Amino acid sequence: MESRPSPRCVNPQPRLRFVGEFGLAIAASLAVLLFLAAAPARALTPGQAERAHALSLRLKCMCGGCNDTVGTCNHSGGAFAGPCATAQAMLKEIDERVGRGESDDLILQDFVQEYGPGVLISPPAKGFDWLVWVMPVLLPILAFILVWEVVRRWKRRGELQPAAAAGPPVSAELLDRARREAESGSDE
Amino acid sequence: MDIFGSFALLLAFLAAVYAFAAGLIGIYTRRQLLTKSARHAGMAVFGLVALAVASLEYFFFTDNFSMAYVAAHSNRALPGFYKFAALWSGQEGSLLWWSFLLAMFAFLALFLNRKRHPELMPWVGVILAGVQIFFLTLNNFVANPFNVIAGTDSSGALHLATLAQGSGLNPLLQYPEMVIHPPMLYLGYTGFTVPFAFALAALLGRYPGEKWIHITRRWTMVAWCFLGVGILLGAHWAYAVLGWGGYWEWDPVENAALLPWITGTAFLHSVMMQEKRGMMRVWNVWLVFCTFMLCILGTFLTRAGIVNSVHAFAESQIGGWFVGFLAIVLAVCLLAWYKNRDYLRSDNQLDSLVSRESSFLFNNLILLAACFAVLWGTLFPVLSEWVTGSKISVGPPFFDKVNVPIALFLLFLTGVGPLLAWRKTSFDALKRNFAWPLGLALIAGAVAFALGFRNFYAWVCLVLSVFVTLTIASEFYRGARVISARDHVNIVSAVGELTMRNTRRYGGYIVHFGMVLILVGIAGRAFSLDIQKQVSVGQSLTIGPYTLVCQNFDSPSNANYSSQRATIEVFRNGKSEMMLYPERRLFSASQVTETIVAIESSPLRDLYVVYSGIDPSTNKPVIHAFVNPLVKFIWFGGIVVILGTGLAMFPERSAALVIRTATESSWGDAIAAGSGATPALGSPSARSGKSYMRRKDNSDES
Repeated sequence: MESRPSPRCVNPQPRLRFVGEFGLAIAASLAVLLFLAAAPARALTPGQAERAHALSLRLKCMCGGCNDTVGTCNHSGGAFAGPCATAQAMLKEIDERVGRGESDDLILQDFVQEYGPGVLISPPAKGFDWLVWVMPVLLPILAFILVWEVVRRWKRRGELQPAAAAGPPVSAELLDRARREAESGSDE
Repeated sequence: MDIFGSFALLLAFLAAVYAFAAGLIGIYTRRQLLTKSARHAGMAVFGLVALAVASLEYFFFTDNFSMAYVAAHSNRALPGFYKFAALWSGQEGSLLWWSFLLAMFAFLALFLNRKRHPELMPWVGVILAGVQIFFLTLNNFVANPFNVIAGTDSSGALHLATLAQGSGLNPLLQYPEMVIHPPMLYLGYTGFTVPFAFALAALLGRYPGEKWIHITRRWTMVAWCFLGVGILLGAHWAYAVLGWGGYWEWDPVENAALLPWITGTAFLHSVMMQEKRGMMRVWNVWLVFCTFMLCILGTFLTRAGIVNSVHAFAESQIGGWFVGFLAIVLAVCLLAWYKNRDYLRSDNQLDSLVSRESSFLFNNLILLAACFAVLWGTLFPVLSEWVTGSKISVGPPFFDKVNVPIALFLLFLTGVGPLLAWRKTSFDALKRNFAWPLGLALIAGAVAFALGFRNFYAWVCLVLSVFVTLTIASEFYRGARVISARDHVNIVSAVGELTMRNTRRYGGYIVHFGMVLILVGIAGRAFSLDIQKQVSVGQSLTIGPYTLVCQNFDSPSNANYSSQRATIEVFRNGKSEMMLYPERRLFSASQVTETIVAIESSPLRDLYVVYSGIDPSTNKPVIHAFVNPLVKFIWFGGIVVILGTGLAMFPERSAALVIRTATESSWGDAIAAGSGATPALGSPSARSGKSYMRRKDNSDES
């Protein structure tokens, strides 16, 4: 828990990452510049388009007016029920960067830098937000152990009191008696 | 007339306070007359809230725009049935509607039991009145729907004002399901108050045995069914109106409705443990407490807008009231449980790990795991912001990832659980019950794999769905075969006879089958396709087996809205199949646009076409088309669940009849027939022939 960023000091860890990301970003930008100089921008290949679409489903549209991902943004109450201006800009950026061959991680990191962690539709399993992923797994496991223990205990209790638990065996006599009682209508 | 509803609402509040206080005093002083008068006051609340609702409806229908609520949610051009439904389109009206439905349930509970359970009912009345006091406080003093509009004149003095026209109903709400979805959902939310009141009353009044469970079984099922129907209607509404091609987005408000439904499902199953075996008394009481608190939490999340949600029309600042009320309810429940915990002591014991009992335990475990996962994901952004100070999003991928395995495991238990016998299941019985269904399901899985079915979760869902369906079918078949052989009737009427004899058990199977259909429909999502493209007249786009050709764009309009419409001809395999008319409506009063999706629905797939409008950057019309496989299974599954629930509530054919028919033939036959129709005949649980007989006809209800 110590490594958890405190609410006041905004993320000492991310700052370290920021230096790394910054370096990476510079390197990537240089690479892209070189690439762009060598080849003009092209339309995405089907594989790249698929990647771009997958990325668009991992990022939230940050217009503030919807809760959709960039890929599914449609403002049904607005004038145009397609991606809004924010989503379109984000989609364009994703397409361009995928087209330049940048990695998913780099693209996502840059979006986080620009918009904050809320831009990721699911939080990464890091820091405090790690809990969101781990608890739905951990708690059922703990509950499972608990239920298992309860079941074992109940079973032991059942074994200790076999007579009460099992009741009298169903004999021909009992069946006969049941039938007689039923026929005489004395059951209810 | 203006103050009529307001006055009725205030009187309702006073009546509820009286019902609460007089009821409590009546209980402690044992003065029957006071208890009776408290009950009457509790019932009168319903009449008074109904008057308030009628009064507000009157204002809507007479376009009385001096009322702030009416002016904000209606206008003259609004069609009549939306004027009716506008009552619950905003904060104040929704809370009034909550009070009304709660008062209705309270009235029914008090009236139907007025001559029964004299020790229990006063407590029930007090608890119901307590909940009513909270909501009537909101109605009267926090979010009063009868506020009038005031304006100032030139001298600065306040005077009443009447607007010429209202702002109109939010166009997203102008859809037929607006009339039915919120009432259903709220019937579910409020309905759980009744089992809650009975459980807490039984605990506070130390009412003997499992009687409260017998009394509330149908109430719980009604509430559970309404909530489920409300959720499905909401999903259908989102699907048909929001135009993003899906029906469930794990929106906080959707999740809020799902939570009590999940715990309600767990409760409906685990009460059987208490009914049959006297086990899990504490657990059941807490399950119903939690279900009620989740209903309140659900209303709170819907109405207070604490978490970002598409249901943003419900935002307000009444959160504090709900938190306070939840804290009080929790404190009362804890105190009642702590003081009376000895009363709940039960003799829990288990004969075998492979038994119905343990399957129920795991069923409850899994359901609660699902409930926790949804609750955790819904509230985590608030928690995270509170701890780390930064806003994060917990979106659909999280919920899908966590809940899909849970749902599949539940599906597995749906197949296995009902076929395990109470107490102990032998290996032979396991083999007899499961060999065929499991074998055939695996063959179906192999065939699907060979045909190129590669999505793992969807494949598991397919195998399990076949398995569960076959186990259910085999249960009906085996039971019906016994009856058919004995009574010499054909197998179809034997199925009918079997079902009517044990409506609870076979109704339960039908509900399970409905859930299988719903899950199959959800699994279809793995194969959905979508394409968004700019198309002018004469141009086309292709999706799956369909080619969509844009034939025309026009603008039909009326007083309520003006519209832009596309005419799309759908070709399949080169053959023209149909015309679709996706539309966008601009509502005059609110200047908000709504999407009218064109859906061509068939059992196997929906073709879902949205006219997105004119793309502002290119000035060209955009069509967004989806192919959504198996969506119809979800809606059809919902209908099956409703039918199954209705059947399970139906009174079973009398025990006397069952005993007579059973005694007419050889009991040995029935035993030999295995666990199908009369499994309890072999049950060693009977203490005497009499109780043995009595247990017979409902021994294996599920």
